[in-house]
Amino acid sequence: MSEIQRRGLVQGAMLAVLSFTIDGAEVWLSPSEAQAQGAPMTVLTPDEVETLEAVGETLLPGARKAGIANFVDNQLGVAPGDCLLMARIASVRPPFANLYRAALGSIERSCQTRHGKRFAQLTSSEQYDFVDRMRQNKIEGWQGPAGPFVYFLLRHDAVDVAFGTVEGIESLGTPYMPHISPEKRW
Amino acid sequence: MAVQEKVQEKIDVAIVGAGASASVFASVLARAGKKVVMLEQGPDWQNGDLISSEIWGRRLKTVNPAILEGKDRLGYSYNAGWGSGGAATHYFAMFPRLLPSDFNMKSAYGRGLDWPFGYDDLAPYYDRVAQDIGVSGDAKAEERWRPPGQPYPMPPIRSFRHGDVWLRGFEALGIKTARATVAINSQDYKGRPACVYDGWCNAGCPIGALANPSFTYLEEARKHGAEVRPFSTVTRVLTNDKGDRVTGIEYYDRARQRQVLQADVVILAAFVAQNPRILLNSATGKHPQGLANANGLVGRYVMAHTGATIWGMFDEPDIQNYMGVLAAMHWSYDRYDKTARPGAFGSILWHCSPAIKPNDIGGIANSRNDLFGQPLVDFIKRGSRQLSRLQAFGEELPNPDNRVVLATEKDEFGFPLPRINHAYDADAVGVWQQACDEGLKIARAAGATESWALRAAPPTIHMVGGTAMGRSAADSVANGYGQTHEIANLWIAGVTLFPTEGAVNPTYTMYAASLRGAEHLAANWGTIAG
Repeated sequence: MSEIQRRGLVQGAMLAVLSFTIDGAEVWLSPSEAQAQGAPMTVLTPDEVETLEAVGETLLPGARKAGIANFVDNQLGVAPGDCLLMARIASVRPPFANLYRAALGSIERSCQTRHGKRFAQLTSSEQYDFVDRMRQNKIEGWQGPAGPFVYFLLRHDAVDVAFGTVEGIESLGTPYMPHISPEKRW
Repeated sequence: MAVQEKVQEKIDVAIVGAGASASVFASVLARAGKKVVMLEQGPDWQNGDLISSEIWGRRLKTVNPAILEGKDRLGYSYNAGWGSGGAATHYFAMFPRLLPSDFNMKSAYGRGLDWPFGYDDLAPYYDRVAQDIGVSGDAKAEERWRPPGQPYPMPPIRSFRHGDVWLRGFEALGIKTARATVAINSQDYKGRPACVYDGWCNAGCPIGALANPSFTYLEEARKHGAEVRPFSTVTRVLTNDKGDRVTGIEYYDRARQRQVLQADVVILAAFVAQNPRILLNSATGKHPQGLANANGLVGRYVMAHTGATIWGMFDEPDIQNYMGVLAAMHWSYDRYDKTARPGAFGSILWHCSPAIKPNDIGGIANSRNDLFGQPLVDFIKRGSRQLSRLQAFGEELPNPDNRVVLATEKDEFGFPLPRINHAYDADAVGVWQQACDEGLKIARAAGATESWALRAAPPTIHMVGGTAMGRSAADSVANGYGQTHEIANLWIAGVTLFPTEGAVNPTYTMYAASLRGAEHLAANWGTIAG
């Protein structure tokens, strides 16, 4: 890569940070930092967060620590025009929170019907099997957004926080090479 | 409650949208001394907003998709823009031309529709656009497949190993290739720097190496006084009592206040859903089916490209698939003949090797959508240095049932939303399937250790049509310049005018057709504007 010289470019994109409120103070954190610091959720309920983190971790190990729930919750709380979720470019009409609530609710209802337990309480093997069936639209009695679409969106959220950030891309041994870098690690 | 209406100053030209086609018209007309205002539903992006990130780049895409229906729903939001520059702020700047056979399909094959002009009429504009905005390519090599023209102003962009790995496969199947033509600087051009091949094209290129409108026609338009009004939602085109002239537009501003802007000429340049929607929502007693819609053709003939997508894993330490541009490195029109595939009519364009990211919608993770858990992690790690993509765009024929209509659901201002129905026909699916088959042969011949095609369903790539142009008012909405047949001072710009789509990215043709239309409007301003 020696022949490729980076150019000095515009600095300081002010929009490239996520705002979280901790103990009443507004702070700027990456999703993984927000997760580590226990930043409160603003849109999702504790049950929804638990489900999202468990499904995310099943889809992509490391997604919980990378802050999938903090990322999704944060983005569901911003104006639709500012939203960065994959749902936006998958032609979902806002408000996006409606889709997430419906999706996470569908997962829990199906888990209760099938196993009598919440998704987070399933064994790893059961979780894997459930997600695999959801992917293939093979969960009997599933109600809500199509299972394969839920799989696609949540899987993409997991990939975003784990491998779509500056840190995530560099963890693969590939250079990030930004013109204008996100101020935080995603 | 009466609505407070503020009548603004009268201007010469109101353009709905501030994307690529709008920018061409604004540039030409502002240089001709016209007072031009562009009404943009989204923000007016500044270069500093264009953050290098797949995640942040999503802000450049619309947040107001049409309601989508049909067997093969359009990938609307991914393709549409949001804010100044429109979809061309996040486009890949791949610049193939249509071929002569695309312009007269009805006459030559009895399929599709004819354009109101031919390749030879558009060719000078292709050449001029290349000079205007900066295009890199090898015209001589490309002329193997098309009539000769001017050389491109810059040599082709450089290639990387993840592109070159496919060449052996193409050669084995007797498919000739050329370096892809792109609107990306291979060297410094008109004060804009050469590309550094970091693969962030679709997040918006803030250095101007990629020819976004904000560095080309839109910049030129602003220099000559054209104004962009962001966060302005146009709801209707207004007409006089006789219904034979448009008088301006109605829109809602950033504060959600209703405004009326009077204009001598109105140009709709708001893409596939909104151009038809605004025409339909502008119905009056004189135009009960909507403006320019006496023949009922507004909204019809919406098209997309199928994409035969083949992935190959190459057993090399690092094919540098994270480097390059989002457009192709190599391409081939060798399989463009519309009658080359038995039982399936339509063209294909082979192209290969965009730079890929782990979380791009067309990136590493989604290349194996069946994987999750630790196998997905392992695959992403391996793919980040060994994976490459080959693709063929496939043509879809214009079908009147693939259309934009008004939905029963309404927007915040009380106007019906657009609803788009779309389904591929047997020809489009057949072309796609046969391209998948051939792509796998190319991959194996190229030496890919693993190769697979995404065969679940044909994707919808690009969007065109909805206000087709043609030679007569009986079979089209507008003439070959974009002027509606019904109202002389109501114009349409952009890809919605396309009667057919070929198998190529639409932007280069859109630029050329827009330049042709804009110059015709400027040259005939007195008779058109009244």
